[in-house]
Amino acid sequence: MEQILYYVKVSWVSIKRAPLPYALTVFILSLGLGVFFANATFYYQMNSDPLPHKSDKLFFPMMLLVPYECADCKPPSVLSYANVQKLKSSDIPSAEAAMYSSDGYLRLDSTQLPTPVNIRLTEPDFFRMLDVPLLHGAIWPDNKSRQDIVLRKAIALKIFGSTDVVGKQLLLDDRSFAVVAVLDDWQMLPRLYDANNGNHVDEVEDVYIPLETGYDLNYLSNTQSQTFDDADYRQLATDGRSKAMHQLQYWVQLDTPAQQQAYVQFMTNLAEDEKKAGRHPSPVNNQLPAMRDIVAYFGGESGDIKAFALVTLLFLVVCLFNASHLSLNRYLSNQYEFSLRRALGASRWQLQQQMLADVLLMTLFTISGALLIGFGGTKLMNYLWPINALFARWDLTLMLFLLAITLASSYLVTLYPALRASFGALNQQLKE
Amino acid sequence: MIQLKNLSKVFRTELIETHALRQIELQVNEGEFVALTGPSGSGKSTLLNVLGTLEHFDEGDYLLDGQSVRGLSDRQLSALRNEKIGFIFQGFNLIKDYSLLDNIELPLRYRGISASERKRRALEALELVGLAARKDYHPSQLSGGQQQRVAIARAIAGQPRILLADEPTGNLDSLMARQVMELLEQINRQGCTILMVTHDPDQARRASRQVQIVDGQLSDAAMYDPLAVKLA
Ligand SMILES: Nc1ncnc2c1ncn2[C@@H]1O[C@H](COP(=O)(O)OP(=O)(O)OP(=O)(O)O)[C@@H](O)[C@H]1O
Ligand SMILES: [Mg+2]
Repeated sequence: MEQILYYVKVSWVSIKRAPLPYALTVFILSLGLGVFFANATFYYQMNSDPLPHKSDKLFFPMMLLVPYECADCKPPSVLSYANVQKLKSSDIPSAEAAMYSSDGYLRLDSTQLPTPVNIRLTEPDFFRMLDVPLLHGAIWPDNKSRQDIVLRKAIALKIFGSTDVVGKQLLLDDRSFAVVAVLDDWQMLPRLYDANNGNHVDEVEDVYIPLETGYDLNYLSNTQSQTFDDADYRQLATDGRSKAMHQLQYWVQLDTPAQQQAYVQFMTNLAEDEKKAGRHPSPVNNQLPAMRDIVAYFGGESGDIKAFALVTLLFLVVCLFNASHLSLNRYLSNQYEFSLRRALGASRWQLQQQMLADVLLMTLFTISGALLIGFGGTKLMNYLWPINALFARWDLTLMLFLLAITLASSYLVTLYPALRASFGALNQQLKE
Repeated sequence: MIQLKNLSKVFRTELIETHALRQIELQVNEGEFVALTGPSGSGKSTLLNVLGTLEHFDEGDYLLDGQSVRGLSDRQLSALRNEKIGFIFQGFNLIKDYSLLDNIELPLRYRGISASERKRRALEALELVGLAARKDYHPSQLSGGQQQRVAIARAIAGQPRILLADEPTGNLDSLMARQVMELLEQINRQGCTILMVTHDPDQARRASRQVQIVDGQLSDAAMYDPLAVKLA
């Protein structure tokens, strides 16, 4: 321990000997790493798996069940109400939920100013499949239409000023709804269930109501809806369930490979039957991507972030190069001391330990600088791409990763110069 | 205790080869005080560096206490430097950012000696060179002679059996030079073998034996009849 402290002290003395070049080295390294951190943060969060234990068990069925002839069309990423019902006839999935999203205005009573909210219209399995945490109450028990509403914690606080509001009434677009549940803190990042619309970088919705209620009350989809034949997407309440109005996202949970295979077969049979019944002329084309692959499937990886990642990596390399050049100069001007220590009996290994102390000190300074610059960098990126703002979060894994990168960089910057200094000819430096 | 057998050293640069040492045969016994003289560029420093294992040699062999230093690992060589050999450089070579005590403790550190023992030995060495009162000074606060005495204290703090001194008085005026010489003689009387490079004939005469080196070769008299040189 005493020896370690001594090594640190020696490092510190040699820093004080020429503080400016050292500060410059640390600054350059911090800059490269900070910019890299900022980008790595987004990259890491964007590509993180919010449901690692089941993202390979949730699947997004898509079928080319459309009333037009098309040889090499991809199936639309949304299904019609009728097709969802046909898919629901299978009992292979252990959970299944159809869903879409809409907008509305929420208020406690007609005296309050309305608050605009995002609405997800869905079924109870949605909450079970995605491990959505409940703070109070319970989700409605079945898929029937009812004027029940589930609130996100923040919106409950905003409307009521408290979270324990189960049983209370409020107005959604001036229609009375009963609060049945309030969610605990929940932020699925990225929000993979909405990836087919490229909306996975947004926040989760403020309120949740039953899908059937959405149809009954004519809540129109605010994302993707495709209609065919004479269907009119505005006539959801009357035509939505019967006509070729494709707007439903559908997720199923298939726990085992056997179930997954059986479901693929089920989809094939269904498509064949539909074809025989003359309900779609196109060749069979079914797709069943897993939640884990959904962003890649829809090509939703942000090009900006990718290009920027490459640039920041290059920038880091340039900074490393510069910093090690500076560091080399510093070590060469300290080589006299290295040689002296060698002459007085320090082994190369002991000098390498000295160097490790240098690395640790540099890591300490650099990580501080890099975190500062990284923090500023994420703020700047939030400003430039506000849509990504949710992803500017640092967690322990990320911090450890950043620390490891800094350590490696400091080591790289110190390694070569220190090796050169400790293997240099001994007597040269000691002559005056 | 020191035995050089047919030892040669060549410096090769892109332009020229310098035969700094040619077929050196030298034997130094325990307790001797050897003065190494010779014209500038004759290879004195090189010889001292080879003896201190700071410099490799090309041919021949160097036996220290009967053991060849050829083929010793870096770790063994540094231990040997650390424990058996004390080095006094022409240009003091103190680290200016450290106190005298820290400077003197330096070789002891690499030997893994405990802090208290280190301090005791360093103080003892400073005492011997008469600078104990200034243990917390920094080298720049001392005169040249005092700095050289600190360098001597550093060299002897590890109680080496051999002291290699490269013109230890070269940068000093005659009074200080005399003090340093007296110190070395005192250390030698305590049993430490000393090899000292010097240009000063008076100093050389005070040594127990003189060895002259000319153009990388030991001159005949020194090689075959050290006694004759001493009496001359
Ligand atoms: N690193 C080196 N590379 C090339 N030649 C060297 C090197 N070191 C010493 N020499 C050459 O070796 C010869 C002996 O040098 P050395 O330093 O041993 O001389 P010296 O006897 O100590 O001289 P002085 O009395 O001036 O200190 C000189 O010709 C010198 O130029
Ligand atoms: Mg010399």
